[in-house]
Amino acid sequence: MLLAGTLPAAAQAPVAAGWQLEATGLLYGEQARARVVEPMGRLTRLFANGRALSLGLAVDAITGASPTGALPSGQVQTTTSASGATTTSSSASLLPTHPFEDLRTAVDASWVEPLGTLLSATTSAHYSREQDYASLGGGLKSSIDLLGRRVTLTVGGGYNHDRVFPTGGTPVGLAPDSDPRVPGENPKEVATGLVGLAHVVNRRWLLGVTASESRERGYLTDPYKVVSLVDPATLLPDAQVTEKRPATRRRDDVLGSSVYHLQHDILYLNYRYYWDDWGVRSHTLDFKLRHDLGAAAWVQPHVRVYGQAPAWFFVYGLTHGPPLPAFASADERLGPLRTTTFGGTYGFHVPGSRGEFTLRAEFMYQWLVGHPPEAAGTSGGGGGGDHDLRRAIAAEAEGTEGNGRQFGTSIGTLLIGYSVPF
Amino acid sequence: MTSRRRTWLAALVLVATVIPGCATVHPWDRDLLAKKSMRFAPLPHELAVDDHIYFSKEGSAGGMDAAGGGCGCN
Amino acid sequence: MASPCDVLVDTDDEGVARAAVEAARDEALRVERKFSRYRDDNIVHAINHAEGRPVAVDDETAGLLDYAATCHEISDGRFDITSGVLRRAWVFDGREHPPDPRAIAAALALVGWSRATWREHTLTLPAGMEIDLGGIGKEYAVDRAAARIAEVTGAACLANFGGDLRARGPRRGGRPWFVGVENPAAPGSVPLRRLELAHGALATSGDARRFVLVNGRRLGHILDPRTGWPVEGAPRSVTVMAGSCIEAGTLATLAILRGAGAARFLEEQGVQHWLIE
Repeated sequence: MLLAGTLPAAAQAPVAAGWQLEATGLLYGEQARARVVEPMGRLTRLFANGRALSLGLAVDAITGASPTGALPSGQVQTTTSASGATTTSSSASLLPTHPFEDLRTAVDASWVEPLGTLLSATTSAHYSREQDYASLGGGLKSSIDLLGRRVTLTVGGGYNHDRVFPTGGTPVGLAPDSDPRVPGENPKEVATGLVGLAHVVNRRWLLGVTASESRERGYLTDPYKVVSLVDPATLLPDAQVTEKRPATRRRDDVLGSSVYHLQHDILYLNYRYYWDDWGVRSHTLDFKLRHDLGAAAWVQPHVRVYGQAPAWFFVYGLTHGPPLPAFASADERLGPLRTTTFGGTYGFHVPGSRGEFTLRAEFMYQWLVGHPPEAAGTSGGGGGGDHDLRRAIAAEAEGTEGNGRQFGTSIGTLLIGYSVPF
Repeated sequence: MTSRRRTWLAALVLVATVIPGCATVHPWDRDLLAKKSMRFAPLPHELAVDDHIYFSKEGSAGGMDAAGGGCGCN
Repeated sequence: MASPCDVLVDTDDEGVARAAVEAARDEALRVERKFSRYRDDNIVHAINHAEGRPVAVDDETAGLLDYAATCHEISDGRFDITSGVLRRAWVFDGREHPPDPRAIAAALALVGWSRATWREHTLTLPAGMEIDLGGIGKEYAVDRAAARIAEVTGAACLANFGGDLRARGPRRGGRPWFVGVENPAAPGSVPLRRLELAHGALATSGDARRFVLVNGRRLGHILDPRTGWPVEGAPRSVTVMAGSCIEAGTLATLAILRGAGAARFLEEQGVQHWLIE
């Protein structure tokens, strides 16, 4: 979270000069979809006067399949064809997906410079590159201790210059999928600002709140996602168009954090409220409890609950007939999404050394709630009929799996970390 | 919720965090606070990974550092 | 048969489903072993290597040959199980290949059901000629497999061998089987149509995938046995519904062989059909 490192300086233990090495490996798997293997490394050099330099490197290898946003034709049990394919549906393959493989490399560097006893500034830069996306950015953050070092105020800003160059060219939005694509790059600019307040309430309790806003401009559409066009008579999707999102986005969020030291355990509680001008609003509640097992090991169970209201242009599908709306996306990540995560970390110190291992296993379940959004404007005039169509599609979806959870995905992650000062 | 109401809410939350702490924290009380785990992000590597995962899988962003990296995912 | 074969059974009893699938599979394998032209131990091999001598056949083979003979007659020679040798004169790999008139003529000399003598369970083929039951073998296997499943269970079922299928329904709750018609331009993607089938068969014949380029013109892989050349102007996909799969398959093939006249032919036959141009 944002407030990492904004703890009132006086409360931190004095830091001796030296190095810190962290190596982390992430294994990530979605049920029948993507797999990611991501090793990461970070090297930090701490200087005696409080300066610090940190360099990080991460490599993501992603393979698998991701949903295209097209509607499943779940009611078709089998297919007749001249090609020899039978395409009998099973519930696991209800959602059309497209396979992908990508390798993403990211490097970052940051420099912490204390300015007097109460003030510090952090400068950072990063670069990441994958097959169809490049991101270059930097930021500046400054913290000042106030009120006898009980309160820390942090102000920061950052700027990203990204380039999107989709494989196969950039599609024209809301046009047939098979239309020719435009070669070349699309820029995306992101500016972010934040302000945060961290407060030592008493010897057991830290409270913090941060507000941030970011403005994006440029190519914000997902070039690989489509929206199905449905035949109103059969409710069967029989064509698709590429999706299209607005060219600007303004995001805001407020995050409240609490760290409370109980008798033996530490309770971490975070709540974030997010809203943006695409209509997406979300609540996140995150809860962790750190429990020491003796002197050398600890466990930290974790629960996270998330709920999101959809973007105003989110649709499950569009019907043939009415003119296409200005923007539309069937990407479930912009839909009425819920995510529940639970898991835990186990950490232990390696005896005889100063290194620490952490092992985290988490399980996430993500699903779209069954009621299609009451979004207006998708058919400009055919509003009533479109609403019935969405209900009918949802009812068909219910019929296929029986509980309206057709779009639910299970995700499992394993994170192994090792960090050692030297 | 309208934009003005949101701003008021944010301001209220800001103030609410300052009020409880009118008690003085003496230097000798800083024992617990000195622990490495008494931070908002005791495990920064987990935080970075989570930020990226949830950013890719959900429609929201941040709580992220201003200088956070970008990817084509959200 | 070189295509995926699916059997769907509408039942909650796994044992019944398994028995039905196994019966269908055993029957499909039996039909394939008996009528495949790639084997060297079956009746088709014996017929194709008889060097002009008469070959006696069993009842099942006789039934198929009778059917083929009838189709040949009523289609004015377009349907011909001896036309397989024409494949030697063409390469359908999607590239430019100028046709060789000598090779076509040489192959045509060995084509023509009327040159064969078929009577009283005995088939005599002139030396060099071959029969290929590939055009009706798969559909026949579907019908046979469906019949075997019916012996095992009364549950609604559907056997789909490589896109040609036969259904016995309706399913529980009175619902028909929903069958998608594949998009010939994008096999494996969302189907173009949804058909409802309670009882009967569907077969699809198509010209979209294998083709040859001749002077830039794209010609499909279905050959007219009377000329030795690919049929022109045929729809990319023809789906026919009929009582049995062999009937549906034959009608679909005959429609394609009519080229541009496919739609009119099927209307005259009075069968339910769906074309994709």
